[in-house]
Amino acid sequence: MKRVGLPLWIVSALLYAFLYAPIVVVIVFSFNAARYGGPWQGFTTKWYGVLLDSPEKLLAAKNTFILAFTSTMIATILGTLLGYGLSRYDFPGKKLFSWLMYIPVVIPDIVMAVAMLMFYALVRDSLGLFPLGMMTMVLSHVTFQIPFVAIVVRSRMVGMDPAIEEAAHDLGATSLQTFWYVTLPLLLPAVVAGAMLAFTLSLDDFVVSFFTTGPGATTLPILIYSSVKRGITPDINALSTLIVLVSVVGTIVATLLQRPRRTQGER
Amino acid sequence: MKKAQPTRAIRYGELLTRGGQRLRSAMTSGWGIAWVTLFLLVPLLGIAWISFMTRGTYGEIQWPATFANYQRLLGFGVLGFDSQYPTIILRSLVLGGGATLVCLIAALPLSFFIAGQPEGRKQIALTLVVIPFWTNLLIRTYAWQILLGQDSVLARLAVGLGLAEVGRPLYPSAFAVYIGMLCAYLPFLVLPLYTAVEKLDWSIAEAAADLGANRVQVFRHAILPQLLPGMVAGILLVFIPAIGQFVIPDLLGGAKTVMLGNAIQQQFGPSRDWPFGSAIAFVGMAVVMLGLWINTRVTAAKGEEGML
Amino acid sequence: MKKSLLTARTLVAALAMFTLVAACAQKPAAPEAAATPAAPVTAAATPASTAPTGTTGPCELNVFIWSEYIDPEIVKAFEQQNNCKVTLDLYEDNESMMAKLQAGGTSQYDIVVPGNYMVPVMVKLGLLAELRHENIPNLANLDDKFVNPSYDPANKYSAAYQWGTVGIYLRKKGNKPIDESWSILFDKSKQYGSFLMMDSIREMMGSALRYQGKAVNSVDPADLKAAAAILLDAKKRSQGFEGGVGGKNKVLGKAVDAAVVYNGDAVRGMADDKDTYFFVPKEGGVLWVDNLAIPAKAPHRDVAEKFINFILDAKIGAQLSNFNQYSTPNKAAKAMIKPEDLANPAIYPPADLIAKMEFVADVGDANKLYDEAWTQVKSK
Repeated sequence: MKRVGLPLWIVSALLYAFLYAPIVVVIVFSFNAARYGGPWQGFTTKWYGVLLDSPEKLLAAKNTFILAFTSTMIATILGTLLGYGLSRYDFPGKKLFSWLMYIPVVIPDIVMAVAMLMFYALVRDSLGLFPLGMMTMVLSHVTFQIPFVAIVVRSRMVGMDPAIEEAAHDLGATSLQTFWYVTLPLLLPAVVAGAMLAFTLSLDDFVVSFFTTGPGATTLPILIYSSVKRGITPDINALSTLIVLVSVVGTIVATLLQRPRRTQGER
Repeated sequence: MKKAQPTRAIRYGELLTRGGQRLRSAMTSGWGIAWVTLFLLVPLLGIAWISFMTRGTYGEIQWPATFANYQRLLGFGVLGFDSQYPTIILRSLVLGGGATLVCLIAALPLSFFIAGQPEGRKQIALTLVVIPFWTNLLIRTYAWQILLGQDSVLARLAVGLGLAEVGRPLYPSAFAVYIGMLCAYLPFLVLPLYTAVEKLDWSIAEAAADLGANRVQVFRHAILPQLLPGMVAGILLVFIPAIGQFVIPDLLGGAKTVMLGNAIQQQFGPSRDWPFGSAIAFVGMAVVMLGLWINTRVTAAKGEEGML
Repeated sequence: MKKSLLTARTLVAALAMFTLVAACAQKPAAPEAAATPAAPVTAAATPASTAPTGTTGPCELNVFIWSEYIDPEIVKAFEQQNNCKVTLDLYEDNESMMAKLQAGGTSQYDIVVPGNYMVPVMVKLGLLAELRHENIPNLANLDDKFVNPSYDPANKYSAAYQWGTVGIYLRKKGNKPIDESWSILFDKSKQYGSFLMMDSIREMMGSALRYQGKAVNSVDPADLKAAAAILLDAKKRSQGFEGGVGGKNKVLGKAVDAAVVYNGDAVRGMADDKDTYFFVPKEGGVLWVDNLAIPAKAPHRDVAEKFINFILDAKIGAQLSNFNQYSTPNKAAKAMIKPEDLANPAIYPPADLIAKMEFVADVGDANKLYDEAWTQVKSK
């Protein structure tokens, strides 16, 4: 592998700085005493207090995390099975479906959001199901999460040496046993990676949630959007800072969990 | 045309009949496929259907079926002929394309940088690219409003370089919108591109250099073709969502222009014209299909299996 | 290898457990709130009349309302007086609210606050329940202008909540006299400085139409094209479009010199910063009135009617207007409004100016004209 020269270091450093600049701004301004996001007017932590005092923001936070966890759980299971199935078995129409599975990955959020909105509306008119709310949001999130998980799992499956599974079968394991004791453990890094990806997507999703949410089911991104439309108050900056903190900690923990396996030269 | 399939085949150590395979597929892929089909593919067909309906007086969806919505899209509007919608679509494509190009220019060096790190640091470098992505996009975009405000460091720098007038913020402007897009979509291009860079076979590049090619030629003929599938995947992951983006042009472009995303949102929101909104969305979908088709061709040509 | 496997599996298992617990804890909104206020409520809250969707169980109310529009103290007072739990869900524009109702919200919310031009549309679409006047005696408190209004004859479905205007909010430049006209935004030669317009179709189109002396609800394509041309020209010189509150905040934050805003927000802004000023331009403009209404399948219709009655009370009406600085439609409340508010032309414009202003009305099929005109403004 080529060594990284100085010009590349500089360019990359600039790019990283570019990516982190807005986050730094958000964190800094969460301590700004100015009420309307104007120039710096002194250091304060009062916005964190204001934040913790507002029930609708805390409710939105709760909704966001429950939504993310629930949908990630469902999507990970379905997506892993999908990724596994697509890489292992053939069925009529497989090519078409594989192709169709990529649609949620690339489609513009808003097209997907309005499609689902209309679907729920039509079903509700005829069958009375699907009032907008937490349930419709979970259904919608799972829908765009599944393909991402499937893609990650599938690419790992493709790279996996089939000899191990063959060996398991040769030694008398049933398919289920093979899957559970041999394949799945090997797949676990990909499954976890896919789950993390799905979790992030759900946590940050705005457009789909916006169109499919219902009463009492507001999530943080929706709340933040209304705030931005109204004029951001610094307590939203405080909220974002906390979210960043949680994300960073979560990512570090997940990375550390994956570390030991890497250095054992598994592949 | 059907390939002759053996009724029994040994796959991965197991003896399976064709029926057995189908059963397995149903048990594994079946759920996921059924879900996505029901909750996304069917609704997308629904959009196509609704786009041929008429908007009622109070915003309801009614018969008769009509081409009126598509006529409007082509420019035959109710206020006379106006090419606003073709312009909107074109502008969205340009914005998407421009944002993709900018992201590509930034992602290339970054991917090589990360791939060039020693083993332990690679993961960290990659994760560092992804972390900002965990912050809410709206917040990041709004933060750029602050960063580009009239008294900010960047604004003063621009004035100093003679690129801007004194006292004016750097947004709303096309420049600000592109910055916002770059910030939002860079990770999507870096991740697949990095995967491709990591798997690069440098021996080909070395061979080319040995045979007398200069650096540009080496890049163009030895490296670029290897990167192509990853690059195309990344480009799709940026271009198509970028076309439908409406929040960033709103917040950093002063809501002064209508993009495809804004147009759709306007129809499903204030104007309450779902049939027309569906027609616009359908056009968006057509672009997605086109993009996917291109991707399949490119990866098929390379003999690789999937997108990522 | 075993150890890290264990860790990863434990993580997955933990996630699964957490989700199961969370999913069980997360019941749909109504039963969750049922965990709170106790039994005595049931007896007190259900009135004698049995409504088709009567109140069963502890008292609750789901209110769907604009942000920053109701005094939290009023909500608390209602909660205490009726031993009820009130949940507020917020929206930023009428159309999102209606879209929510159409999408099933009619059976989830008890109170919504539509603008006047939405009311006939919502009635036609079957989204609103009739108000049973016998449960809302305080309707008598409404000012004559809002009793039996043209958009809702006999107040069958709605009761006025607050009304107001749309005008220009700006930062004063020293003691220079200000030309109180739309031309400081719409006329290049008289431009005041950097400005924002409101990201709202009817408000901006209506203002541009009044600037030319045309009707706010005109359906003449020529009028609309001319209005669109004015707005397009203004847009090119402007800093863009923002919501009303956003515009007010940008003026306060000194990011722009002027913005088109709703009068109530502007008045609160003026209280924060004495160097800012609001006025309704002399050519006139758009009038709006927001109304309390009950969705067709509201789960707590009786409580909702109680709530409307509560808001229409003279004292509460005054408290409301003193909080959000908008104009009250409640003639009994007027006596208790702060005198400086009553004298403030920004809140209660003089009669001759009101004569030049019109309420926005839904224009049915002609909506397409407005939509196209607005898209022209936004897309060129």
